[in-house]
Amino acid sequence: MLYYIGAISLILIGMYAVLTKKNLLKIVVGLSIVDSGVNLLFISVGYVKDATAPIFSMPSLTADKMVDPVPQALVLTAIVIGLATTAVALGLVIRLYDHHKTLNINKIRQLKW
Amino acid sequence: MEFSPVLYIAIPLFAAFLIPLLGKVSKTLVKLTPGIVFLYLSYGSILLFPKAMEKPIVQVVAGFKPPFGISLYYGATAAFLITMVTIVGFVIWLYSYKFIIREPIEKYYMLFMMLITGSTGILLTGDMFNMFVFLEITSIAAYSLTAFLRDKDGAEAAFKYLLIGSFSSTFYLLSVMIIYSYTGTLNFADIAGKIDLIPPMAKGFVLVLVLVGMGIEAEMFPLNGWAPDAYSQAPSPVGAVFGGIVVKAGLYAMIRIVFLFFKTPEVMQFLIFMGILTLLIAEMAAMRQHQIKRMLAFSSIGQMGLVIIALGIGTMGSTSAALFQMFNHALIKSLLFFAAGYLVFHSGSKQIEDLEGLGYDKPVTSFFFAVGALAIIGLPPFSGFWSKLLILVSVAKAGDIAILLLILTGSVIEAIYYLRAVVKLYTRKEVPDNVRRTPISGLVAMGILAAIILYVGLYPGVIEKWLAPAANNLLNAADYIKAGLF
Amino acid sequence: MISVPVILSVMFLGGVLAWLANRFVPKGASWTAAIIAAFAGYLVFALPSCGGEYTLALGSITLVWKSTNYSALFAMLVAVLGFLGILYSMDFMAGKKNLGYYYMNFLFALGAMLGIVYSQDLVSLFFFWEVMTWSSFMLVIYSGEEKSHKAGIKYFAYSAIGAYLILSAIVILYAQSNSFLLSENVKMFSGMSLGTQIMVISFLALGFGVKSAMMPLHVWAPEAYKESPSGFTAVFSGALSKMGIFGLGLVVFKFAANTEFFVYVRETLAWLGGLTAMLATFYAVIQSDAKKLLAYSSIGQLGYIIVGLALGTPLGIMAALFLTIMHGAFKAMLFMSAGAVYMRTGTTSLDDVSGLITKMPLTFLTALFGIISVAGIPPLGGFISKWMLYQALLETNHYFLIIVIFIASTAAFLYLYRFIFSLFLGQREKEFEHVKEVPWSMLVPMMLLTLFVLVAGVFPGLVLDPIGKAMGYLGNFKASWEPQVVFSAWGEKINMQVIAGTIGTIFILGALFIGFKNRKATRVVSTKDIHTAGEIPTENENLTYAVNFNQPFERAIAPILKWSVDKLFNLLGENLESTFEYLRYVYTGNGQTYAMYVILMVVILILFSGSIFGIHL
Repeated sequence: MLYYIGAISLILIGMYAVLTKKNLLKIVVGLSIVDSGVNLLFISVGYVKDATAPIFSMPSLTADKMVDPVPQALVLTAIVIGLATTAVALGLVIRLYDHHKTLNINKIRQLKW
Repeated sequence: MEFSPVLYIAIPLFAAFLIPLLGKVSKTLVKLTPGIVFLYLSYGSILLFPKAMEKPIVQVVAGFKPPFGISLYYGATAAFLITMVTIVGFVIWLYSYKFIIREPIEKYYMLFMMLITGSTGILLTGDMFNMFVFLEITSIAAYSLTAFLRDKDGAEAAFKYLLIGSFSSTFYLLSVMIIYSYTGTLNFADIAGKIDLIPPMAKGFVLVLVLVGMGIEAEMFPLNGWAPDAYSQAPSPVGAVFGGIVVKAGLYAMIRIVFLFFKTPEVMQFLIFMGILTLLIAEMAAMRQHQIKRMLAFSSIGQMGLVIIALGIGTMGSTSAALFQMFNHALIKSLLFFAAGYLVFHSGSKQIEDLEGLGYDKPVTSFFFAVGALAIIGLPPFSGFWSKLLILVSVAKAGDIAILLLILTGSVIEAIYYLRAVVKLYTRKEVPDNVRRTPISGLVAMGILAAIILYVGLYPGVIEKWLAPAANNLLNAADYIKAGLF
Repeated sequence: MISVPVILSVMFLGGVLAWLANRFVPKGASWTAAIIAAFAGYLVFALPSCGGEYTLALGSITLVWKSTNYSALFAMLVAVLGFLGILYSMDFMAGKKNLGYYYMNFLFALGAMLGIVYSQDLVSLFFFWEVMTWSSFMLVIYSGEEKSHKAGIKYFAYSAIGAYLILSAIVILYAQSNSFLLSENVKMFSGMSLGTQIMVISFLALGFGVKSAMMPLHVWAPEAYKESPSGFTAVFSGALSKMGIFGLGLVVFKFAANTEFFVYVRETLAWLGGLTAMLATFYAVIQSDAKKLLAYSSIGQLGYIIVGLALGTPLGIMAALFLTIMHGAFKAMLFMSAGAVYMRTGTTSLDDVSGLITKMPLTFLTALFGIISVAGIPPLGGFISKWMLYQALLETNHYFLIIVIFIASTAAFLYLYRFIFSLFLGQREKEFEHVKEVPWSMLVPMMLLTLFVLVAGVFPGLVLDPIGKAMGYLGNFKASWEPQVVFSAWGEKINMQVIAGTIGTIFILGALFIGFKNRKATRVVSTKDIHTAGEIPTENENLTYAVNFNQPFERAIAPILKWSVDKLFNLLGENLESTFEYLRYVYTGNGQTYAMYVILMVVILILFSGSIFGIHL
């Protein structure tokens, strides 16, 4: 339960950053935090207390002593994807700074209406 | 070798990684590769299409049987949409051949191939998390392509797209998580069978998250803030990719999930409502645009609204009409983006104002733009007429005259702003002598699209006969579950 | 074997052929188009009425084309006017740019009109309706100038609204009857619910009313008529706007006739028609441009036709259909003569041109016969229709409507006289000394139509024969006529030859008398010979007699004209557009705002998911 609360509050903190911070970098950081929150949440779904990795060659291991491996595999993928997104985002921020000489999102509003 | 649906994903992906290597050898090779890929995929479509129309092909990847492994589900709907993607992809490549002259072209084609991979993946996959991965592949390629021109506005548009796109993927991932935590499975067919395991509250969250997450990709109002910017700042063929391929994939994902898990009258009502809102607001905004590509973007959003309405009606007739409209819109909007791309290129300005007189200076390109405009308004004898007619018929059959009149209001607005643009083209004005010509590959690409649009407009039967199985496949959840689980 | 698809493909392929011909052969387009139109015209006449049925299955939709007596009447009108319009265009358009485009769209429009009248199902009716709209739109914007574009957009916007109303009526019908066939829908119409009936009839009537320029839906017409090339305007006003009448005929007698509120439909339409006739005539009086004047006159005449149709008595329908044919002929004559003047003088302004009678005698003759026919003076064709219309009005006790129509007919004299006076009579300005008569290819269509108007006036039976058959299609109307005779409501026979002979004799004698008496009294004066109270008029002050020709009348009707629907609609459109302008500020351009929308959407959906989705969180 603690994990859930922690993860959800991470997501909310990230969203708060994305919605209120004016600095592009902070927005990107916020997106990253949201990502981590989602990943953490996903991991905690598969978490079983005091359990260990599901290795079937270990005869002492019973099903209730194993954590669910699927979320872990999925989160691994999601982390990689999140990293790629962040990289692209940072690249775009650099490009934007080059063109606009500012990181304030309110000043980058050429395209509107 | 037997052509298997997995090749739709594997070949573009392989090509995407091959292209940078080929770039070291020869630029021509880079340019030719996507064409070969699309030709091969169309060959595959010819082989598989009739089979999929009768019975869905379920391909198991890596030997795990569903529901444990990842499976690809090549049903009638997916077959229809993938065939559409290959056709549109092919002409986009043909158009890009001479249009994308700015280095680094190998990166352009690589991202283009990634985009195709992601989109076909979304259409094909039978696994929820897998869909997330493909969604991300599509999105990241799309962000990069939006900023491809490296200009000020491109970066801005791409950043907005990324910002909203991240929300889309986050929400979708959250919904996957909730579903997984209750059902313990990721296979669509399996989930659909176990959907009652999810308590109503969690179900509500999943529904909201999916609707918003995929609604962003499907350009539903008010989630579509990214769309006009991205469409108008990306290179023109990329605008066509967005309108013709990416959005369709996103919409398909949303509708597949909604129809499989949540097909209740309330949700359908909600879809209709959102569709109308999207349609009307987009058309109104489009009317007041001064930039031609931005206008096309808003029109594209409006068309998606129309499709969403038709899907929301949820009858057999309306669903097939919606698929027909998706097909037509993909072709027609590509044609419009192609023509607009060269018109902008020739006039050197994105403003509609500055297109004056181009109709006489660049007659063929302008002619194609006019054809596209007439077709998208839904005038006969072009294909747009039939899909619009079928949508209206199904709306009338559902008995809601108010929706009918609202759609038609949107259509009137659409007709007016498109004709304004066309008429601007044909205003007589001395144009400075312009030696630049629209290259032959661009003209051929537009010619192919125009020919298909006219042909389908005169013989709607060619498409129409495939619509019923495709719509049936989308609507009939029980069949999907049966086929998906063997 | 002549069948409908043959005719249609001749027209449409011919259009493409004309376009191609223009690319390879100089003057190729006009000759190709003329030959195609002549050939298609021959086919239309050779096609047996009530025959040539053809069914085309397009996926789930089946199209049926067939000639009926009703469609044959309109098809002949289209074919004849189309051919004459193209013949007229050959020299009128000579030397202009984009002739391939012109003739292609011309033939497309003709083909679409034929398609409309031959359609036996609603989908192909709508299909051709839209093709007709866009091809005629293309011709309105032909000149490529700002003004024509404005007119074109306006035309298209109104047409689109009309067309979509028709479309919604069609799909509503389909939802009830599961069929697009006209006959099926007509059969099942009386069984439909009252709401459906009202909706279908009002949508269809409005939709067709736009095309037939019924007030208050007429505002597109004057500018669209003015801006289109005159060769096409003849067809536009003469035949294309009649498609609205064709549709209204179907609505009134095929659909509305099977309902309980038939009488209300008829009365509403009759009054709308009557008001259209009167107001359009008033507007025509104040115009100072020949083509705009004719446009308003055309709107007014269509108003008469609508009145006739709406009366629903055999005599009324006969009057309406007769006027349909006659108006096609005489309005084409008038537009053609205005076009001829335009070709030679470069303007259609009534204030600038004058005294062309000696320079363009045959054009003058056409215009003269045209206005006589419009005014409804015997012995020309216009008289017969007016006569029958008044009879029908009397017969059905529409006394107020008679007054309206009477005012309209009387006021019509004002603009008609102004038309012919300004262009052809009075003193000729110096700049028009070099003006010559137009070439034969333009004179032939004008003369042929003149001849037709005369013959139809003297032998009305020739035209009444196909009309009688057409009425048989609309319903079991028994119409009686004899070739040379018109009946009055009291069963008296009026022999047109006698009337024609009498009037002709009086006319000739009168002309001889006046000519003989005044042969020495003619005094040549300058056009500027007007009392100026001692002031010397400057060079650019236009003192031509034709300026402010109908000023007293204009003053009298000014209060009525103050209320312009056109302005009202424009205001509405502008307001709507500025609303749209504000609406698009939703897209603020700030990425964060968009993100906020997304979050808000999620929050709203979650909070209200109970009421929206029926799932309680």
